Amino acid sequence: MTETVRATPDDATLVRIRGLTTVLGGKTIFDALDLDIPRGKITSIMGPSGTGKTTLLKHITGQMYADAGSIHVDGRNVAELSRDELYKLREGVGYLFQNSALLTDFDVFENVAFPLRQHTRLPEVLIRNLVLMKLQAVGLRGAARLMPNELSGGMARRVALARAIVFDPQLILYDEPFVGLDPVALNQVIKLILTLNRTLGITSVVVSHELAAVQRIADHVVLLSNGKVVAQGDPATIADDGSPWTRQFFGGEADGPIPFRYPAGDYATELGFAGAAK
Amino acid sequence: MSQPRSSYAVGTGLFIVLGFAALAYLATQTSSVANVRQGDSYVVDAQFTNIGQLKERAPVKVAGVRVGQVQSITLQPGRDVAEVKLSIDKLYDRIPQDSVATIFTSGLLGDQYVGIEYGSAKQVVAAGGTLARTKSTQPLEEMLGKFFGAGGVVDNVGGSYAVKASFTNVGTLSAGAPVKMAGVVIGSVQSVHADPVKLNADVVLSIDKRYDAIPDDSSAAVFTSGLIGSQYVAIQPGGSPDALKDGDEMILTQSALQLEDLIGKFLVNGSPSDKKDAGNGNK
Amino acid sequence: MNARAPQPRNVLTQSLAQIGACGLFLLTLLAAVPRSFRYLRETIRQLWFVGAMSLTIIMVCGLFVGMVLMLQLYHVLSIFGGTSASGMVVALSVYRELGPVVTALLFAGRAGTAVTAEIGLMRATDQISAMEMMAVDPVAYVATPRFLAGLIAMPLLSCVFCAMAIFGGHLVGVTWLGIDNGTFWSNMTAQVDVHTDIINGVLLKSLAFGAVVSLIAVFQGFTTPPTSEGVAYATTRTVVASSIAILALDFVLTAFLM
Repeated sequence: MTETVRATPDDATLVRIRGLTTVLGGKTIFDALDLDIPRGKITSIMGPSGTGKTTLLKHITGQMYADAGSIHVDGRNVAELSRDELYKLREGVGYLFQNSALLTDFDVFENVAFPLRQHTRLPEVLIRNLVLMKLQAVGLRGAARLMPNELSGGMARRVALARAIVFDPQLILYDEPFVGLDPVALNQVIKLILTLNRTLGITSVVVSHELAAVQRIADHVVLLSNGKVVAQGDPATIADDGSPWTRQFFGGEADGPIPFRYPAGDYATELGFAGAAK
Repeated sequence: MSQPRSSYAVGTGLFIVLGFAALAYLATQTSSVANVRQGDSYVVDAQFTNIGQLKERAPVKVAGVRVGQVQSITLQPGRDVAEVKLSIDKLYDRIPQDSVATIFTSGLLGDQYVGIEYGSAKQVVAAGGTLARTKSTQPLEEMLGKFFGAGGVVDNVGGSYAVKASFTNVGTLSAGAPVKMAGVVIGSVQSVHADPVKLNADVVLSIDKRYDAIPDDSSAAVFTSGLIGSQYVAIQPGGSPDALKDGDEMILTQSALQLEDLIGKFLVNGSPSDKKDAGNGNK
Repeated sequence: MNARAPQPRNVLTQSLAQIGACGLFLLTLLAAVPRSFRYLRETIRQLWFVGAMSLTIIMVCGLFVGMVLMLQLYHVLSIFGGTSASGMVVALSVYRELGPVVTALLFAGRAGTAVTAEIGLMRATDQISAMEMMAVDPVAYVATPRFLAGLIAMPLLSCVFCAMAIFGGHLVGVTWLGIDNGTFWSNMTAQVDVHTDIINGVLLKSLAFGAVVSLIAVFQGFTTPPTSEGVAYATTRTVVASSIAILALDFVLTAFLM
């Protein structure tokens, strides 16, 4: 899989990140990060909590800007796009939020129809059919008239997925799609992600730290830690590449390159044992 | 799917209509001409030489009971007579032709209304007819106007001269109060002191140098501007050929009256001298 | 993340920073007005929420303000035998001061807080980010319609409030205390001027208050930390800041318009 990293942006690589550096509130989130996301594949970005996986997705969609480095999506530099161009780009990108982010004012149908109503002047009949098709794809056509607060977490995520694909995007970003789902709902979401990728060829980026789920769907796994890519490769083999990072993360060890302790001053000094600090 | 949307639209539309209806109500019913008709009525003309503060829609009363309202007040070009149209309820269609229409004031500060005092004639005033006998605004209004007319500030700094006057009672007069002649401010009260020997109040008036021809037998009176206003010193010119000079004392003074006395006096006798003063005060 | 927690920073500096940020936000809002014309339906929907839904409280409060004002004035004016002027005084005080100010305070409490809480929760649940991701400008879709709705709703609510206050005053004055109906209206119509009292007093003032309250409500919603704590704090701030702004602005406007 690693050979795709070297490919030109307009064929095999959809998202190309070079030298990405971001400092938020004095904390370095990304430190000269290089990353390529291959077209038509499912790429999984893994890493411990707080390494900026969600922040990375926001950089790709231009909701946040880096302090240095560049992000090219389909050959266009996100940071240099005007507002209209950026919005045009976003129409071709689906984004599944961790907490679904359905609009609470509207029912399921209107939520899925929302992007269509905002960006097209399609006749009502066509909108209706498009929305019902997408809802059928996620198995929730019967729930079209429910309000978001009547949905379970898994259903809400599927509705959000239907909304993310209503414009048939070329790229879908999944932010923690497996968190908080029961095994049945988890499998439904996994099946959907796979179906969308295999049948429609939609490039998918899955941010997650659920190893078992990732291994079932991902073509390519990227492990982030401390603002850098520490390992990447095939999901079946990445756990065995021998580096201490992967061993700790996939082995679930409490301490290792990813420190157990948040950086702090000398323990004895802070407790006031002045004599110990010598 | 358009169900909730259209209900919002209808509700919002109703809200907007209600808001504008309220605005129209405020603008028409409470601020400009809008005759509220209560049942059938007929119109009678009355002509007054002075209507005072009479307004449209003011009540028309007989024996103190409301029988209608003032419909319009117009001034005929070329004539100094106000033509007042009274809209009177059809119930009271037997008003004798020689009845007298008078403009009264309800209370001292109240509003004015038209009162009709029945005459004895057999004929009644028909719709569109005229009440020939009218009485205009009572002198009371003019008398009070004298007190309401007070106000203003001394507009000079070009030197002044001091005149003394002693009063048996200055009321609430204090230093800085205006001194007026014919209603116009000509100076101010410099000081108010009690005389330990004569047991009355010595008041020093500081009068603008421009008014240096005030006869030395003029009188000074402590008046009140308005019924509840502050007090001032009014100078009523006398007839002496000699003028007041710096340091002179005014002999004729009139002390502050109790408000009740004052009003009572005007209510009881509208004497000619009062009328003259009233004219001055209105200037 | 808790940027709103009490910090050892100067209160004055913080307030100035807030006012400055609020001013910049206003520019963003206004710049988004042409784009928000596409979301006319949303503006109408918001007009329903902030305007029509506030009608009940406005009408009831207006009625009682008029009634109590008449009751008070009647007893004071009866000392001078001037009860016939009480209708006029009710009308003038309601048009010039109480109508726009009380309506704006009620509006801040009823609609302003709702707008702040709603936007804050939309941010907390990523709905705002979701809109950005769906290439819908959240300022044009969420902020500006609410701002415009407040701007339109306030003068209308003010008019309703005033009309109800006059009605309440009439109820107490004429029906209960026995002031003459014609005197009540004739005094009022003689003294109330359409330009100074209704256009300057009711409409202009309430338009300004509507703009300020809506701006503060939307601004607080958009800038609060997207947590339940932040939303609660922002809601309180909306009421406090709106009330201060309304009364201060009222003084300035009165000084200029009178």
